[in-house]
Amino acid sequence: MLPSNPEPDFLAILHVLSRHDVDFVVVGGVAATIQGVPVTTFDIDIVHSRESSNVQRLLSALKELDAVYRFPRERRLAPNESHLSSGGHNLLETKFGPLDVLGTIGKDHDWAELAATSDSVQLDSTLLIAVLDLPTQITIKEEVGGEKDALMLPILRRTLAERGG
Amino acid sequence: MEDQRPANPEYSPDGVDVSLIRWMLSMTPAQRLATLQKHVNSVLKLRATLKPRA
Repeated sequence: MLPSNPEPDFLAILHVLSRHDVDFVVVGGVAATIQGVPVTTFDIDIVHSRESSNVQRLLSALKELDAVYRFPRERRLAPNESHLSSGGHNLLETKFGPLDVLGTIGKDHDWAELAATSDSVQLDSTLLIAVLDLPTQITIKEEVGGEKDALMLPILRRTLAERGG
Repeated sequence: MEDQRPANPEYSPDGVDVSLIRWMLSMTPAQRLATLQKHVNSVLKLRATLKPRA
């Protein structure tokens, strides 16, 4: 049984995904932070490869993480192969906090496309992950155009400018 | 990690605190993630101390 609101542990989630050799790109607020943007977020967002063998590896990782859908909370529904093979968004809670597993983001950008515009980032001696680059984060927020995205854009753009981008 | 943030923030014309960005960019990616983790833990601890209104 999961605690009612497990404290997020971003590194622990990334280590489990990495240990299971899952192909994924970190996007969203954690990606922005790693790229140097001063924002706070409480969940970690990834876009995964929906290739069949990767979905199996992801399912194993999610099992180790005790991942279930955040809503409806009382059903404790675990994601399955069908869910993870679609382009939809899987908003999960795990023993290390919230994890959003996304088939696509923005205008149907999938893992293969996003991996090509990601940076490889070494977070510790055993953890090398793909993190969406800042220009692509900005492009996707511009094309989505939601209120939350619009609020984030000035700080993303200013960070890119400070980096000399 | 010692907090190296400057005391007088500089703001861009669109209201962004540039000193905060420079502070983040002075860190390695791993330090940035650790900073986020500490912020989240602190906020959750503070939230846990909130008492419901009577």
